[in-house]
Order: sequence, then structure tokens, then C-alpha cells
Amino acid sequence: MSKRKTWHLMLAAVVVAALLVLTLSAGCAKNQAAGPGSEKPRKGGNLTIGVDRETDTFDLYQMTWSAGQAYVYDTLITRDWNYKYAPGLAETWESTPDGKTWTFHLKKGVKWQDGTPFTSKDVKKHFEVMLDPKTAAANVLDYTWIKSMETPDDNTIVFKLDAPFPNLLFKIGQSYGAIQSPAAYAKYGPNGTKEYGTKIAVGTGPLKLKEWVPGDRIVLERNNDYNWGAPWLDNKGPFYLDTLTYRVIPDSSTRVAELETGNVQVLLDVPVEHYDRVSKMPNVQVFKQPAFGLGYLAFGTANKPFNNPKVREAINLAIDREAIAKAVFFNLVQPAYGYLPPGLAESYEDKNAMRYDVAAAKKLLAEAGYQNGFKTTLATQNRTEHVRAAQALQPMLEAIGIKAEIVQYDEAGYKSFLKSGKQQLFMRQYSWDNADILQWFLESRQAPYPGHSLWKDNKTDQLIATAENAVTPDIRTQKYIELEKYLIDQAVWAPLWYPMSIQAVRTDLVGGYRAYPGGGDVFNDVWLKKATK
Amino acid sequence: MRTYLFRRILLMIPVVLGVTVVVFLIIHLAPGDPVLLLVGERAPQEVYDRVRHVWGLDRPLIMQYFTFLGNVLRGNLGMSIQMRRPVAELLAGAIPVTMELGFAAMAMAVFIGVISGVISAVRAGSAADQVTMVGALLGVSVPGFWLGQLLILLFAVHLQWLPVSGYGGLKYLILPALAMGFADSAVTARTTRSSMLDVIRQDFVRTARAKGLGERVVIYKHALRNAMLPVVTLIGLDLGYLLGGTVVMEEVFSRPGMGRLMINGILSRDYPVVQGVLLILAISVALCNLLADIAYVLLDPRIRLQ
Repeated sequence: MSKRKTWHLMLAAVVVAALLVLTLSAGCAKNQAAGPGSEKPRKGGNLTIGVDRETDTFDLYQMTWSAGQAYVYDTLITRDWNYKYAPGLAETWESTPDGKTWTFHLKKGVKWQDGTPFTSKDVKKHFEVMLDPKTAAANVLDYTWIKSMETPDDNTIVFKLDAPFPNLLFKIGQSYGAIQSPAAYAKYGPNGTKEYGTKIAVGTGPLKLKEWVPGDRIVLERNNDYNWGAPWLDNKGPFYLDTLTYRVIPDSSTRVAELETGNVQVLLDVPVEHYDRVSKMPNVQVFKQPAFGLGYLAFGTANKPFNNPKVREAINLAIDREAIAKAVFFNLVQPAYGYLPPGLAESYEDKNAMRYDVAAAKKLLAEAGYQNGFKTTLATQNRTEHVRAAQALQPMLEAIGIKAEIVQYDEAGYKSFLKSGKQQLFMRQYSWDNADILQWFLESRQAPYPGHSLWKDNKTDQLIATAENAVTPDIRTQKYIELEKYLIDQAVWAPLWYPMSIQAVRTDLVGGYRAYPGGGDVFNDVWLKKATK
Repeated sequence: MRTYLFRRILLMIPVVLGVTVVVFLIIHLAPGDPVLLLVGERAPQEVYDRVRHVWGLDRPLIMQYFTFLGNVLRGNLGMSIQMRRPVAELLAGAIPVTMELGFAAMAMAVFIGVISGVISAVRAGSAADQVTMVGALLGVSVPGFWLGQLLILLFAVHLQWLPVSGYGGLKYLILPALAMGFADSAVTARTTRSSMLDVIRQDFVRTARAKGLGERVVIYKHALRNAMLPVVTLIGLDLGYLLGGTVVMEEVFSRPGMGRLMINGILSRDYPVVQGVLLILAISVALCNLLADIAYVLLDPRIRLQ
């Protein structure tokens, strides 16, 4: 055999072998495991979290997507490991019996990240700026209950209300309800250098905004002055970590590969299609728990034929929710039979009203005058799991004679479509941890956007108003349950699944991580067992 | 040459202007509202209206276009609606990331493509030729994103020789450049092969051999130089394609370049970003084609640019 032929054969063998290895490696990823580290918290290092998208801004007035703000800013009150309200910047609080005056007593010795003292006047100014129409704050409606504020001393802020508002603590504890420095906002905000939120952010939180490379990473660094952590945290002082980095990795396979190699130590949202692979990785602990949310099939209730409650009821009975949970989500969600997730006190389920009963569904459709079914559209955003859920729904609807054509939109196109009011059947999912989501989507004044269901109903409005202005949280809960029973009776939505939160942590590298209710994250107690790449 | 260059640069102006009009119309006529994304679902109508006014999106489309054009002529590409930063600042960060990947992929494509194309042509019909052409077929058939994932699994996850994703040096460049350059090297190889096959059968090559020149000199000095003309055309066109083609690779390898910027801009209807990115891409493609024309002259003195 000539040298040339030998070389050709070798080349061919190398090419074939490389292709074989490449193909095999797709199916049987193996892990590199590192040895166990010290269990005693140690200071230092950088922890990287892999995320699919970055936040929009660190300006709390404009923020619509939270990632990292919770560490730069503090809220007046927090939620502990059991999701109970607990002190934050406010040490204690009380309200008058009529529920119209709320007084918060602030911690002493708290400092802004620029070194200036934090006072009640800052809190007052912060909310005044938020409520100013010129600010055009995205979440202003959540704070319109504030009629006036008083600051009897530097450590006391009093909120005066026109009517009782039992949901006040929830609103005060929201990440966008945290307090940002009014002085810094005045200097660097829209009337200043216009750098606030992208290059500069001043809060009282345990981490400071160090660097933001758009589309790549956000780096937060330790605030060494911090010693006012919430009482339910083990570490109430400065972070153990030097820095916390949010790395934007849009491709889910790449995110998982980064976790596997240890370049990323935490994933806060493992996609269901990667759950199997991630859960088999050594040195990776998966935290799986119910998230606060609901995936549902919605109806354009003002549009024919979905203005007929019998049609909506028939569709509710035509859906096999367990089959969707299994086929679309590999049982990594719970089938939903109510409008609010089970983790909320207001949650109410009616399995009978949403049982899988094709015969009863057909009967109802015939009673509604559609014995031969009808053609319609089923709109969905082009999120993989929503498209797959729509595809799973298609044959179920067809079984009772409804031919639904699936129409896909990207996020921007979908929002505009829903605002147009032309929707018939459409897929939705909300992530929210409060019953007021029903007010948000189903109160008459919210139609057509964000009230995409186009639901305009006096009784619903009355029940919501009674609940939201109840004097005590218990009465509010009762009223919301009453509302849910009514909504189920009217079959306003067809609830499908309660999502799960799936987080993955490299336990050979990371110590002290605990699952937080609903899939939130708390890194105050977290440390690195060894230096990361 | 100077007149030619001047004329070509002048001709680029209507091309780029045309691109801005088309891009502006397409992105504005696509369904979707950037303000809805910007203010979120919890904002009241008054906030929506105010934000829409602040961004000038409540003005007639034609006025918005001329404002954009006027700003561009003054060197101002505007502010990103979603990212709240000057588009020029975003581009300044993204262009180097994309260019280094585009040029690395191009270098890889040319290096692998030309060498394998020449070998394949010189030894037409041999096993080397067949292996090269099978490789070329694979190259054009295998989707870049899939190859990218396979390369990540092999070289980053299993062997741990290279990082999975990110940017910041040569080691971050190898896998995406390989995944991107592979398909292009296949096209280059096939073009080089067919061009070389034409040239090496011509009289001047026979003459060179008859003069007693070594085979290496005949192939690389005489034949290849003449065979490179269609390859250069291809490279000129491909450079523009590669800059645009980084979109997928930047997503897979998580590189914050122009492709990612454009995708995010399109998805969030961030008009200034999309217009800015496509303006730069249009100018780059036009310049690459101009460079290809200049390269013709350098390779073949018979071509005169007049």
C-alpha cells in the first residue's frame, strides 16, 4: 500500500471516528465530579447563575422583569422561609382597627450604598416619585392605595389610606416595591445623567451593581456595610460571596452544559426537557417544588361562540388535564382544577366541574346550539411548552367537534393580538403569588388588556371590590373563594396546569443553598466551597 | 482606481439608504408593540400613552423615518427602547464580538476549503477527493446549531479542553468558529475544486509543466492564482453572510454580538436597535463586496476597474 493511500485511509478513519464520537456524545453525556468541600461557610469567590434573559433595568419604577434587584434593594417587609411576612427595612408595623392607617417602624443604622443614612423621608420621597404621573412608573397601580404619607421621625413612616386594604403587606413586600435612593434617582435618573438603572443603582441591599454588559452578564458585588439582614436569614451581615453574576445564556442546552462543567453553579429555571439529564448529574441537587402560577386555556368571552357559558363549560369537560401534564410536561406540573395555585390561602378547586367527560361535553355543546361543532382559532405564544399544550388540546377539542387551528405569535405579536380583542381560544400562563391576579385579568375595567378574556361582569366586579377592601385578610380570602366558585360556575377559563419550579445547584461547589417558596432564590446564606472558574 | 473606488462608494449610498427604508417599514409594520413590552401588563393606559409619546411612537411613520434618518446623518443612532442605552454604545460592544467570530470562521473556512479544494482537484477521482467531497456534503448538510451543540458536548463537557460558551479570548472562539466555518469551508472547497479543475487543464498550465517547473509551483503559483477568482467572489459574498450568520452561533455559544442584539431587537420590536444593527450590516456587506472587487485586480492584472 502506498504512503498516499495509507494517509487517505487514516484521514477517512479520523473523520468517521470524530463523527461517531460527536454523535455518541449527544446521547450519553457524562459528568466530571469534584470532591466534597468544607461545610463551614467561607468568604469569597464569585457565584454564577445561568439565566435565559436579563432584567430590563435596575430602576424600580420601570422594572418589569426581576433578576438581581432583590439583592441591590431592600423592601420594608420580607417573606420568610414559610412565606410569612417578616421584618425587612421595617422592624415592626401596625395598623389601626379600621385598616386605614399603617405605621412602619424602620431599623436604625441602615445606610444607602453611597454611604448616606437611610431615613423615613427617603421612603416617603420614593413613593411620591413613583406616584407622580411624570415618572410613568410601570407598577404605579399597585400603590394607588397611598393617599398620603407622614414621617413623624427619621425611623417612622405612616401610610394613610381612604379605604381598608388587606393586601397592603403583599404590595409593600414586592420586589418592585423596594426602596431606591431618591437622591441618586434625582442625580442619575431621567432628569439627570440618565444612567440610573443601567449603570447606576443605589439601594440598601447586600449587593451593589458592579458591572452590566448588556446581553452577557450582570455582576453584583458585596456591600460590606450591610448588617441589617432579615431575622429569618442565618447570615444577617454582608454576603459570603464577593460577587454574584447573572450570566445570560439564552440556549437551554448550553445553560445545562455550563452547569455540568461547573462554569455556572446555579440554574434557577431548569426547562422540563432537560430535567432528566440534570437530575442524573452527580454533584447537582435539584430543587423541585410548586411554583406560584397557572397555565390555562382562555376564551375571548365577548366573542361568539365563547360568549355562551355552555360552550366554555363543554370545553372544560373535554380536556384531559392529566394527559396534558404527562405528555407535555412529563408530569413535572400538576393538573389544575382551580384558578389560583394551591400554595395560596385563597386557592379553591372543583374537580367535578373540570372532570374529563367527553359525552357530557358533547351534550352541552349541542344544548348551546353547536351539535355539529364549529371551527375556531387557538392562539399561543411560541413558547415550546405552550405550543405543545395547544397541540395536545387540538384532538381533545376535535373529539367534541371543535376544529381549532393553532396560530403562533412571538411575545410582542401576542400581546398586540390580545389587545386587539379578536381572540377566540388562547393559551396563557401567569406567575403570581397573590389572589389579586383575578382582579388583574377579570375585573371589567381591565378588558381588553390586560383583561384578555374580555370578561365584563358586574357580579365579578362586586366580589373583587368586596375582597380587596375587606378589613381583614381572612375576610378577603373568603371573598376570593366565593369569586372562584362563581368563575368556575361561569367557566371563564379552562385551567390546565400548575407549573413547578425546578432549580439546580452544584453542591460540590456551593454551600448553604435552600429552596425558597415558589421557586424564589435567597443567596444571603450561600457560600462557595472552592474557587470557581 | 481612485475614481473607481469613489464611484463605488457613491453607489453604496442609495443601496444603504434603500436598506434603511425597507428595514424601517418591515419592522414597523410587523405586528407587535414595543411599549406593551416596555411597560409590562401592570401599567395603566396613562403610563402606556406617556411612554409611547416619550419615544415618539405616536407620530406618523414617515416623520419617525425622517427623524431616524436625520439622526443617523448626525451620527446618532438613537436610544434602545428596551435596553435604555444609546444604540451606538450597544453596537460598540457587539461589533468586535461579531467581527472576531465572523473573521475567525472565514479564516477557518478559507484555510480548510481552499486546501481541501486544491487537493481534491489535483487528485480528482482519488480517495482523498472522495473523502473531501463527502466532508463537503456533510458540511453543507449539517445545521450549524446542531454541530455547535455536538462540539460543546465533545470538547467542552467531555474533554473539558475548551469553554462551553461566552467570549473573551481565543479559547472562546475556537468552537463557534469551527461550527460556523465548517459549512462555509464545504462551499469554498467545492468552488475551489471546480475552478481548479478548469484551470489545470488549460494551456498555460501545460506550458508551465513543459518548462520543467515543479508540480508545487505549477499548482500553487500558476493554477491556484487563476482559480481563485470565483473563490474570492464567494468569500466576498460570504463575509457578509458570515457576519449575519453569527446570529445562530451567538445564540448557541452565548456571545453578546450583533446577532444576539438583532434577535433581541426584533423580538422586543426595539426599532432603533434593529435599524442600527441592519444599517451596520448593510454597510459591511457593501464594503466586503467592494473589497472583493479590489481583490480581483490584485489577483488578475488583466482586469481593469474602469
